[in-house]
Amino acid sequence: MSQAVDVRTQVLEANRRAAAALREQFVRAGTLVVNLISSPGAGKTTLLEATVARLSRNFQVGLLVGDIATERDAERIRRLGLPAYQILTGGACHLDARQVEGALEKAGFGALDMLFIENVGNLICPTNYDLGEDFKVVLLSLTEGDDKRFKYPAIFARAQVALITKMDLAPVVQFDLAAVEQQIRTLNPAGEIFRVSARTGEGMEAWCQRLVRQLAAKRG
Amino acid sequence: MHETAIALEILRASQETVAQHGGGKLVRVKVAVGELAAVEPELLRYAWEAATAGTSAAGAQLEVAFCPAVQRCPSCGPVPREPGAWVPLWLSCGAPLLVERGTELDLLQVEFEPDGGGHEPSR
Repeated sequence: MSQAVDVRTQVLEANRRAAAALREQFVRAGTLVVNLISSPGAGKTTLLEATVARLSRNFQVGLLVGDIATERDAERIRRLGLPAYQILTGGACHLDARQVEGALEKAGFGALDMLFIENVGNLICPTNYDLGEDFKVVLLSLTEGDDKRFKYPAIFARAQVALITKMDLAPVVQFDLAAVEQQIRTLNPAGEIFRVSARTGEGMEAWCQRLVRQLAAKRG
Repeated sequence: MHETAIALEILRASQETVAQHGGGKLVRVKVAVGELAAVEPELLRYAWEAATAGTSAAGAQLEVAFCPAVQRCPSCGPVPREPGAWVPLWLSCGAPLLVERGTELDLLQVEFEPDGGGHEPSR
């Protein structure tokens, strides 16, 4: 005879608890935490290079970089003289809160003003996993085509900030910016959109100021 | 493709529940998967077979209750929608739309054969 037990918890309850503990830790430390999500090649690492190059003059910044294999992305950031730690997921298509917890212990960043978590390049799976971040950022590059937010609506609905990247390519690609922004707003009326180019610096100041404002707000 | 990680998490949480109730062999697990949960029920079933194969839970059934999305506009009421479509705004009035159901990813029930059988189950 079998026995049935009603459970009624979230499948990702363990991740939710780990993320809540991280969030508390980040509040105590006064660290702003941003979770960056996009498809592969949208420019997460390049955007982070340009972002931390600006912010690291005045702030202690650390980076966790998730990839299935290789240390290449963390090495790119370390070349700028900034602390970066590579999380190798060994095949998993997303980061989870326990990986972030473990990586922070090993990375030994010390006190940070801002922590950027570059998720594994994927628009679907990372959406489900809370990492204790203050907010999610979704990147959409001009070279990806302008119908992506319809194919992957969940991340556009949940990310507080959408960055349209590679704006320097606007003159040479077919991409209806106004329509895309209108549709992102339809998916997420409260979200913010920035047009940026890490190469030319377009929009980078506004994006960085946005981060600085939220850090100040977090520290009250 | 994170159904594999989800399946492993369902297995881990189910085995934990069984252990909390005196231990035994997993027979059936019921989960709820919402239409907006970004999890494909069919892929989850395949992943479950792979996750349980070769473990003490091999052969355990995964029952997936699919929960269609229900969205409601605060002023216009329930929003009619096409299955599979995400409608975050009720466009006739432009008010922010509430998602009432469809984001579930829940472990509902765990059924197991208690160790050292022979006694009546305590339901």
